[in-house]
Amino acid sequence: MEAIISTTDLRKQFHSRRGAVEAVRGVSIEVGRGEIFGFLGPNGAGKTTTLRMLTTLLPIDSGSATVAGIDVARRPKQVRSRIGYVSQLGGADELATGRENLILQGRLYGGDLASVSSRAQLLMEILDINEFADRRVKTYSGGQRRRLDVALGIVHEPEVLFLDEPSTGLDPQNRAHLWDHVRALRSRGTTIFLTTHYLEEADVLCDRLMIMDHGQIVAEGTPRDLKRQVSGDSVLLSLHDEGGALARARLLISAEPYVRELTTDGDQLRLYVEDGSAALPGLLRLLDRERIALKSISLSEPTLDDVFLHQTGRSLRDAGTNTTESAA
Amino acid sequence: MKTFRDTGLLFHRYTLQMLRNPVWLFVGFSSPILYLALFTPMLKHVAPTLGVRSGGVLEIFLPGILALLAFASGISMGFSTIFELQAGVIERFRVTPASRFAILIGPILSGLMMMAVFDAVVVAIAVGVGFQVHWLGLAALAVLLGLLAALMAAFSTATALVTREINSFAAIINGLNLPILLLAGVLLPISFGPVWMRVLAHFNPLYYAVQASRALATGTFGAPAVWQGFAVLAPLCALIIFWATRVFRKAVA
Repeated sequence: MEAIISTTDLRKQFHSRRGAVEAVRGVSIEVGRGEIFGFLGPNGAGKTTTLRMLTTLLPIDSGSATVAGIDVARRPKQVRSRIGYVSQLGGADELATGRENLILQGRLYGGDLASVSSRAQLLMEILDINEFADRRVKTYSGGQRRRLDVALGIVHEPEVLFLDEPSTGLDPQNRAHLWDHVRALRSRGTTIFLTTHYLEEADVLCDRLMIMDHGQIVAEGTPRDLKRQVSGDSVLLSLHDEGGALARARLLISAEPYVRELTTDGDQLRLYVEDGSAALPGLLRLLDRERIALKSISLSEPTLDDVFLHQTGRSLRDAGTNTTESAA
Repeated sequence: MKTFRDTGLLFHRYTLQMLRNPVWLFVGFSSPILYLALFTPMLKHVAPTLGVRSGGVLEIFLPGILALLAFASGISMGFSTIFELQAGVIERFRVTPASRFAILIGPILSGLMMMAVFDAVVVAIAVGVGFQVHWLGLAALAVLLGLLAALMAAFSTATALVTREINSFAAIINGLNLPILLLAGVLLPISFGPVWMRVLAHFNPLYYAVQASRALATGTFGAPAVWQGFAVLAPLCALIIFWATRVFRKAVA
């Protein structure tokens, strides 16, 4: 794998009135050319800060980073012409049309008017912007704006495109649409580096990802490998708790050889097993034999949330609220 | 060369944005005209008691208005910077290889051009009500006002980048606005004031701009106020633009 982004022990501290906050604490990553690489983590985990260091917007405190083979700290100018960056805000001019925005952006990257105009036309076709290209941006819907933002990020055909929380604020349909566009970009050879706090986005879109929490990387791999690291599948049993059935079931099930972990939550038992579909028949037979009445049983494959939970002890869904404050 | 080209692109962009914002254009035109229409008539009656011949009222008042316009158009520049920061526009430009100096100076030059248009209208109106034009003086005055507006705009933009949000920015700008204006003798010459005001005024750059403006409006190139005005504004302008470019170069977290 040819690395197009690589960092070693990247660090960043912010100073506020309440003292120093370590936003990024030793991040080392390698991103291969042509990958869709994701940074998953709750708000305030340090994803955006890392991204801003890689895109020359924020000075690096310590550690090193190269993008497209160029040292970010030493030669930011050369890095800038090789990367595209779409921030959470987008930042298109609202009083200008989509086309005007694209042409100005292309010219700021050094293109001449003729070649930039035809490039803008091509991008508007690829990203389905054509229809409203000559309307002012302030009339655009969320999905339309996001597509323009992406077009602005790739007008100069960068080797790497950085997307910061690309689907925030989009409805599911527009989100899926955006993912298709991102995949299409990758198939044209662009490397995509994105941050997200959406589990599904990380899972479905990314070839490889890194899970970040409190400024540090807690796990890394393909979504499949990461999920496989967690103890297999989880089975959720709901019981009629009559005459100590719950306690009895708990004891019985925990003795089964294929059960790795068992937790109780109200009248529910959650167990982690190596292979859920193989374990179910045995479980059902066992409960039936012991005359323990089942309300329901469900089997689920591990999600990236389980990975996060496993690594940090918290659920990603809850984590955001606790950490935003400390990182703000 | 690249800086020049980028400056042109960003100048054009900012000018288009302004032209598409009719409210802003309306305010830009109306405020100097309101000053002329609603303040000058009062001066005419007060003038004799202050020892100013009534024909000389515009000679004192108009340059003051022009300096006030330059100051105000410059110092308010940061409000659009704050807006563009919050909309992510500045960040979008900063991640391109565009010259940092161009990102700063493009909008400032656009503002200067628009100020020149407003000024021309104001002077034309003033001529209509009896102001005598000294062309050479007016040309020199235009340069002086350009320096003043550019210096204030660069200061305001850099302050916006440092504060990053509207409340602290507005507090700083409003806090500076009033004392600077009152201690410059914009509407009435500071020489009408007591000694302590006249002494304090000498620490105020706008005071030198206003004094030089009044001399230039009547074509009195020999007045010490003229060289003093340029001697204060030109280096200050260069210094502030240098600082503002540095602020742009450094990260805005």
